[in-house]
Amino acid sequence: MFARDVMSTRFHTISPEQSIAEAVKMFHIASIEEQKRIFGLMVIDEKEHLVGMLSMYDILLFVQPKHVHVWSEIEDLEAHEMFAELLNRVKSIRVSDIMTTNVVTVKPETHVMVIADLMIRRHIRRLPVVEGENVVGVVYISDVFYHLLDKFL
Amino acid sequence: MLNGLLVEEAMRRQVIHLPHDATLRNCINLLIKFKANALLVVDHARPIGIVSKTDIVGAFYGGLPIEESKLMDIMNGPLLTCFPDDELSVALDLMRENGVHQLFVRGAELNTVVGMLSYLDVVALLYRYCRACPKGAARWSERPDLSDRTQLLVVRDAMKSPAISCRQGDSLAKVIEELTAHRLGALLVEEVQGSAAGVVSKTDIVVAYNHGSDLEVEARSIMKAPVASCDERSLLSDAIRHMFLKDVQRLFVYAEAPSRIVGVLSLSDAAQIRSGSCRACSASRIIAAS
Repeated sequence: MFARDVMSTRFHTISPEQSIAEAVKMFHIASIEEQKRIFGLMVIDEKEHLVGMLSMYDILLFVQPKHVHVWSEIEDLEAHEMFAELLNRVKSIRVSDIMTTNVVTVKPETHVMVIADLMIRRHIRRLPVVEGENVVGVVYISDVFYHLLDKFL
Repeated sequence: MLNGLLVEEAMRRQVIHLPHDATLRNCINLLIKFKANALLVVDHARPIGIVSKTDIVGAFYGGLPIEESKLMDIMNGPLLTCFPDDELSVALDLMRENGVHQLFVRGAELNTVVGMLSYLDVVALLYRYCRACPKGAARWSERPDLSDRTQLLVVRDAMKSPAISCRQGDSLAKVIEELTAHRLGALLVEEVQGSAAGVVSKTDIVVAYNHGSDLEVEARSIMKAPVASCDERSLLSDAIRHMFLKDVQRLFVYAEAPSRIVGVLSLSDAAQIRSGSCRACSASRIIAAS
C-alpha cells in the first residue's frame, strides 16, 4: 500500500512559460483524456523538474475582479461584457506568475496512510509522486479513497 | 460624507503576507495573483514592514536579482497603521500626510494585523453609498424629483491634468524615471502623431521584471491597449463604476474626441475628494440611504 501502487502514471503537465489561455485549454483536454475532472496540473520545466502546481483556484483567483463586492451590487447587463474585456489582462500573464510554488510531494515508497493524512491535514486533493528530481506519477484523493474503502464497494 | 464612517467598514480583511527572507520572485507572484498593490512583511508572525509595487519597480530599476534578493532588502518600515474603529477621515489624513496609498489595520492584540485599508477600498465604499442614495445618479431615473443633476460631480472636477506620457520607443528605464518623478501609477504611451497608443502601468513593469525583461526594452513591448478612457464631462460616479468593472485604477480623460487626452482620473484621486460623487453629499444623507 504505497504511493507507487495507487498513483496514476498517466498525467498531464504544463510548462511555466505557457499562457493562462493555454493552461485553460490544457485543463479541458486533460479532463477529457483522463476521464475525470482535473482541477490541478503539475508545472514542469524544460529539465523535467517539478516547479509548481497550477490549480483552477489559482486561475479563478486571478481573473476575479478585485472589487467583487461592487460587482455583486450591479445588476446591469453590461457586467457580462465587462468581464470579457477584463479577461484581456491575462494576455501577458504566464503560468509561472500565478502557480503555487511550495508544492507538497511524496515518494513512490510513501505509505498510503501517510498520504491520506497529508491530504486531510493540508486540504490537498492531489500529490505529485517524485523520484529524485523527476515526477513519476500523481496520487488523487479519489485513488486513496477507493483504495482504502474498497471493502464497501 | 465620511463623517461617522469607520475604518472597519472600508478595510479589506484579506491581508497577504510573506516572511522577510522571502524572495522578490515570491512577492511578485503573490502581488500578481491577488492583484494587490502591496503586501505585509512579517518576521515570525510579527509585522515589520511593507513592500509595494513601487518598491518592486525600484528593485528592477536598481538591478536587484529577482531570485536572490529578499524582501528585507527593499521593504519599508516601520508600518503605518490605524485601528478598525478609527474614523475613516483620520486614516485618510494619515495616508495623505505620509504620501502612502495604504495602511495596515492593527488588531487589539499586540502584533496582529486584521486588515488593510487602501484608497481603492475607500472609493469602493463611497461608491456603494452613492448607488444606494436616492439623490445619486444611479437612482436618477427612478426619482427625478429628488435629484439635481447640476449637483453631480463630473470627471473634470476630479481629474489631474495633463496626463504624463512617454513615447513607444522609450526604454523601461525612462518610463520608471517618469513614473517616479511624477509619483504616478501609469504613463500614457503616445503614438508618433500625439494620440494615445496604450498605457504602461507599474503592474506591467512588475510583470516584465518577473519575466526577465531588461530595462532597455521599449515601452511599446509591454504596454496595454486600448487605453481605458472617458469623456471629461462624464459623471464621476459613472467613471468610478467603469474603473471598478474594468478593474483599472485610472481612466484617461479626453475632451471632445477620444484621441485628445487632457488628463487622468485615478481611484486614489477620487478617494481624496472624499465626498462620493455629488456636491449635495452629507452625513445625513448616508443615514437616510442606509
